[in-house]
Amino acid sequence: MSRLISSVFFLRRDPRLLKLPPYLSLLCIIAGIAWLFLLPLNDYSRRTYISENALLPGQVHTYFGGSDQNVFRAYKHEVHALIGKNNSEINDHLENHFKSIGLKVGRQNFTYASSGQTYTGENIYAILQAPRGDATEAIVLVAAWENDKGELNRHGVPLALTLARYFKRWSLWSKDIIIVIPPDSKTGIQAWVDAYHDAHDASRVSSLPVKSGALQGAIAIDYTQEHRFRSIHVVYDGINGQLPNLDLINSIVSISGGQMGIPCAIQEMRKHTDKYEDRLRTMLRGMLNQGLGYASGPHSSFIPYHVDAVTLQPFGEGWQDEMAMGRVVEGSFRSLNNLLEHLHQSFFFYLLMNKDRFVSIGTYLPSAMVLAANFTIMAIFFWVKSGSPAPQDGPDSKSSPTTTPAERHLFLPLVLVAMCQFLGAIPLFVFNHLTATMLSPAFVVVAALNCALPFLISHILASYKPSVQPFQLIKCFSLLLLGMFLSALATLNFSLSFLVGLLAAPLTFMQPCSNPVMGHTLFGVLQLISPTTVLYSASAYFHIDIGSVLKEAAFGWNIWGMYTPMVLWCVWWPAWLLSSVLVLGRPVQ
Amino acid sequence: MRHLLAFICLLPLVSWVTAADYYEQLNLRPLPLSALLASFNFRSNTSFYDFESHNFRYFPRSLGQILQHAGTRELHLRFSLGRWDAESWGTRPWEGQREGGTGVELWAWLESESDEEADEKWLILTNALSGLFCASLNFVDGTRTTRPVMSFQPEGDHPTSSIPNLRLLHGVLPKEVVCTENLTPFLKLLPCKGKVGVSTLLDGHKLFDSAYQSMAIDVKPICPEDGDCVLEIEQTIDMVLDIERSQRPQEIPRPPPSRDLKCDTSKPYHAPNTCFPLGYNASQEWSLSQVFGHPMKGTCPLTDPEIPPVCIQVPHSRSVYTSAGVHQMKNADGRSRCFTFDSEGDFDIILPAPDADDTGEIIANTTTTMTTTDDELIKSPTPLIYAERSLMGHGQERGGVQTILTNPSQDTEVEFIYMESLPWFMRVYLHTLNARLEGSRGKAQPAMIEDIYYRPAVDRARGTQLELRMRIPPASTVFLTYDFEKTILRYTEYPPDANRGFDVAAAVITTVRPRVQSVRTTTLLLNLPVPDFSMPYNVIIFTSTAIALAFGGMYNILVRRLVAADEAPSRLARAKLGKLIEKFRSRKSTRK
Repeated sequence: MSRLISSVFFLRRDPRLLKLPPYLSLLCIIAGIAWLFLLPLNDYSRRTYISENALLPGQVHTYFGGSDQNVFRAYKHEVHALIGKNNSEINDHLENHFKSIGLKVGRQNFTYASSGQTYTGENIYAILQAPRGDATEAIVLVAAWENDKGELNRHGVPLALTLARYFKRWSLWSKDIIIVIPPDSKTGIQAWVDAYHDAHDASRVSSLPVKSGALQGAIAIDYTQEHRFRSIHVVYDGINGQLPNLDLINSIVSISGGQMGIPCAIQEMRKHTDKYEDRLRTMLRGMLNQGLGYASGPHSSFIPYHVDAVTLQPFGEGWQDEMAMGRVVEGSFRSLNNLLEHLHQSFFFYLLMNKDRFVSIGTYLPSAMVLAANFTIMAIFFWVKSGSPAPQDGPDSKSSPTTTPAERHLFLPLVLVAMCQFLGAIPLFVFNHLTATMLSPAFVVVAALNCALPFLISHILASYKPSVQPFQLIKCFSLLLLGMFLSALATLNFSLSFLVGLLAAPLTFMQPCSNPVMGHTLFGVLQLISPTTVLYSASAYFHIDIGSVLKEAAFGWNIWGMYTPMVLWCVWWPAWLLSSVLVLGRPVQ
Repeated sequence: MRHLLAFICLLPLVSWVTAADYYEQLNLRPLPLSALLASFNFRSNTSFYDFESHNFRYFPRSLGQILQHAGTRELHLRFSLGRWDAESWGTRPWEGQREGGTGVELWAWLESESDEEADEKWLILTNALSGLFCASLNFVDGTRTTRPVMSFQPEGDHPTSSIPNLRLLHGVLPKEVVCTENLTPFLKLLPCKGKVGVSTLLDGHKLFDSAYQSMAIDVKPICPEDGDCVLEIEQTIDMVLDIERSQRPQEIPRPPPSRDLKCDTSKPYHAPNTCFPLGYNASQEWSLSQVFGHPMKGTCPLTDPEIPPVCIQVPHSRSVYTSAGVHQMKNADGRSRCFTFDSEGDFDIILPAPDADDTGEIIANTTTTMTTTDDELIKSPTPLIYAERSLMGHGQERGGVQTILTNPSQDTEVEFIYMESLPWFMRVYLHTLNARLEGSRGKAQPAMIEDIYYRPAVDRARGTQLELRMRIPPASTVFLTYDFEKTILRYTEYPPDANRGFDVAAAVITTVRPRVQSVRTTTLLLNLPVPDFSMPYNVIIFTSTAIALAFGGMYNILVRRLVAADEAPSRLARAKLGKLIEKFRSRKSTRK
């Protein structure tokens, strides 16, 4: 034992040990990325399964159909007659329809403001009180008047009305059923869910006149296409990458695919061969959606309140009609109705590879964690390095390694790192509060500042005539913060943490160069991976105007509480800025 | 012989007593939205002398003995399910006095010298009733029992001498699911036992399929002006049936054939395959036998034949068809009519749809609005107060309760008492209690909360009791809110069932002025932070495995020595051992 300890002590003094961290760090990056690419393999992912036995998906006969189709056609005529009318007129008509079915109807006004635009509207919702129920629990059916692309939900709204009328005939409901028809898919439903949980700002969103019990689940119908469909697209991403319980998705896949014979698709993968490439593509699309944290449908607003929700979008050319869609919803509602307790059995953190294949958090999390660990390793490395005295020229330097560390001057590095960290709040504030027309010019200004700011800061820094140590400490603190933020974020939003970690990975290896040409080259490289460049090139790749990207980001921040912009400006950008300052730095020997 | 003589002498007296001492009636009232309220009322009296001498005639012996044993002077027991839709249906039956919160509710006045004695008697009472009614009333323990101060007043006529010794205890079981096993003992208490008369209509399938049902038992002493005091037991069942649902021949609501759909033919797009359905509130024809599954069988022979067993509240302008041998009497108030019929044979009535009288077929109701004309239904009066209660907030730590109380009247101020009995794990912050008034007409309002009675909870011993005396000006709404903190329970305190959450009993609102009326809110579902119960299990398994492996391994390493066979200590060692033993022995012997 003593021999082991002494050999560890000996190893500690070995100068070769100090050469190891950069390689270890690189290994972490490579391992993190490689890990992700292993996940779609059969050995690392699992088939989905129903965890909550009470759900019993697909175990009941569904009876929606027959003469209900006649009713559906009539409601479709009614809804089409309302096209082009204003929100309140539409709601007047819908209110009459709901009341004639015998439901309790409520209406709610809301006004939101973001990027200088106001979003106003009026939600209408109807509560089907469970015939023998006691108003303690409820499930929600959402049919937004328009989907998130602005298309009219031309079959979804009549289907919701027909289903409401059909559900009223059953006496088996143990939970109230709430049918919500918001005017759009982005703001209205958010206002409704906020108000349902009394988390709304009363000056902008009015309270709900009637309420029911605790929400146990929600299904949104987004059925815009006129013709018959082939399969159902299940959209499940919530705000900030939060996901509904996997059991809900599994039940719907099982009911739709297993019982009704309607294939399901996820993440816009309309054809899925279940091969490695398709699984990887599905997973990466899922990660991108999760990382952006943007609401993907009306269901997204429910998920932050721990209400599991999905949106169902029929697509493709096939022979399935509206009644089939209705039966899927009926079957899902019967399953949710069976629930004795809130959905909690299955996973809340998962990546789906296919509709029936997933990896759980235990398998995928190491990938982002290892990526984040690379920053921490380098931070520790630079801390140790900053403590060791500057190498002396001479033969004795190697033979007698000093044990007393050099004194670290922390003030300057700490102030600089703290300042840059808080500097991130400025673009965050500016982009979230400017009007929509000002966003593009503001972006140009910020991009230009991005080039100028490192020069400015390094110029100021040079006036202090810093030696190597301050630069090492700056880097140490910057990477320490980055590693800390990213590993914490990985547990909340894996994909965002991974994406930021990946884009920030080169920052690990940036350090002051004695050669000015080399320094400027590195600065050029850094400019290529700067947050602004990445933002711009991504929006160019997806053919979206940068102004509208920023507008949507501000919208997400102001209305949904989407924190992606904050991660971008307060985690990634400061780390990038400090690295740029480093590469331009000239340590005084 | 003397007994027989006495019996013969008393016979006419007995028959007179019979006529007056048992009463049963069914009141039917069609409600808007194709609902039907059926109120069953059964009443029987017994004189105190008979009661004390265990001479039970119509008063059920099983219940009577419990009451005597537990010293109960007045008892109110409620089994309720579903919701009363006050906005559409108006005032509750019996002014809400025969209604309970969802689940089981019990309150009683017990005669006792001290609170401790009352608690003992309450324990006896709840346990005995639990057995009698197959309900979990034995779970009404100290944490669920309250002693309301303002909300409940005795209904019976108690002698003034006993009033200081009467103690009111009140308990609720909001989670109790009322079902057939509670109905059967209820029917057994009736003199006619559900075999004949009005009670034959009470069938578990129909009763528990109703949108709202409340079974009530009230026992109280009554002292008429002229005569002796009697003990009265009143059994009431109120149920609201969905006519469309209860008339369905089969349980599964398959879509009807297209030809049976009632369509609005006035729509321009109306076609054989397109049908805009007529309003749900369009009145439809119904008959007693369809709604209840079978006709009523005879009348109970123990009742006064003069009292009509069935009454229906519809305007006189509407015609009601009856089965043969039924005599119809229209009451003078123009709102109701009653039926008398033979004590044998079936009774059935048919209420045709209002428009069907003249033409014989249903005229399409072109408007889908909610209006129901006055000649169709008797409009029930608006309740004095509307109450709705819901939970606020989200998350596992804190929450709030909001009660919206609306006074719909345009000119009358309502004074009422709001009572909540909350479980101890809901820690109420009374300082957050806030009453906000909306819709008042700009006048300076007097303080809405006039009096507060608050008895804070004691962990694991008793719940919170909150009684507020409040006042709402006409045409205004009060938002009553308070916050609470959720407690983390010990893990054995979670019920062993599926974790649905904890039910919070309904709030009881009793109006004091202008008249006494009672309203109950719905129950609430409180989600407490729940640990992952499989986790301790896993921990136990893991630690056991780890200890087993580590202990086994360590023990092995410490004790076992691995040596080659030829290295094993063989005879040499044994010889050494033998020497040692010999040495020991010799030493022993030398000592001797």
